[in-house]
Amino acid sequence: MLHTLNCSPGHPAVQDCIALLQQEDALLLLGDGVYIALENSQGWQALQASGATLHALEADARAAGVQHRLAPCFTLVDDAGFVALSELHAQHMAWY
Amino acid sequence: MTLHYCLLVLAAPASGHTSLTAARFAAALLARGHTLSRVFFLDNGTSNGLATAITPQDERSPQQAWSALADANGTELVLCVSSAVKRGLLDSAEAQRHGFPAATVHPGFTLGGLGLLVEAMQSADRVVTFGAPA
Amino acid sequence: MKAAAQGGVLVVTRHPQPGRSLARSALDTALATAAFEQPVNLLFLGAGVLQLLPEQDSSDVGVRNLRKVIDSMPLYDMEHCYVDAEGAARAGLTATDLPPGAILVDHTALRALFDSHRHVLGF
Repeated sequence: MLHTLNCSPGHPAVQDCIALLQQEDALLLLGDGVYIALENSQGWQALQASGATLHALEADARAAGVQHRLAPCFTLVDDAGFVALSELHAQHMAWY
Repeated sequence: MTLHYCLLVLAAPASGHTSLTAARFAAALLARGHTLSRVFFLDNGTSNGLATAITPQDERSPQQAWSALADANGTELVLCVSSAVKRGLLDSAEAQRHGFPAATVHPGFTLGGLGLLVEAMQSADRVVTFGAPA
Repeated sequence: MKAAAQGGVLVVTRHPQPGRSLARSALDTALATAAFEQPVNLLFLGAGVLQLLPEQDSSDVGVRNLRKVIDSMPLYDMEHCYVDAEGAARAGLTATDLPPGAILVDHTALRALFDSHRHVLGF
């Protein structure tokens, strides 16, 4: 399953998402969700522990100014990369 | 492999840029050779079709981003009728029925029932939802 | 990737009613899907379980009573709905509070529920 997480760190959607996240999944941070990937923050460790592949939308990361400050477990994807993730996963769940 | 997509947009343009992200996603999936016959706008997402929303000059207009997509690819842009009229989004028929002088829905969009979402999901290989925090 | 996307739509409703209209939109989507005779399930997840509080009286705020709509689901051939057991416990909801046909799902069953549907809609 592909998950998108579009909310600030600490929002209840983060916990709801983590509870469902599994190793075979992909997670993409959107909007304010990109702050969760900040290297110096506490939010991403639980995401990493799920074993899912972790991504942040490049446009949103750049807009927030976090593109060079992400924890190394995240890769930036552009719009085409977002589509590619949806090709790989038959289901999508939007958390926000 | 060509996949058929259906998009559900629940995010209003006024609450961040999620609806513009959705429009870029739509353009990107078409560029990768997939198909998108319909985008369904529901709840606050119906505001994407508001003709009288004025976007500041240094920002991108979601109405234009979506209708460019419709013009270039024939993608249908459907606003859920009950969500839309509740928010003052009226096509000419609804405007006439309720006694308002003019339509407030952008000409690139149409009003329709949830059955159009159900139908689009039925034939879709992928359904992608765009929602935004309040 | 784990297999088993059998079919049907899972509507996941995660927001409580008063502040936002999303709960109502999720319910309308599930009911419309059922009305067109397509397989659909509704899952109340996280704070979404608060939509099930039984003593809702929305007459003073001027919106429709959501719990009444939820209770009418069997009329649309939606005999069952799924409820996040952990969320229900957190909200203090007991079995007698839940609508008839509600099925409590624990953490493991929750994931299996997602995996068994063709499409998932997150509200």
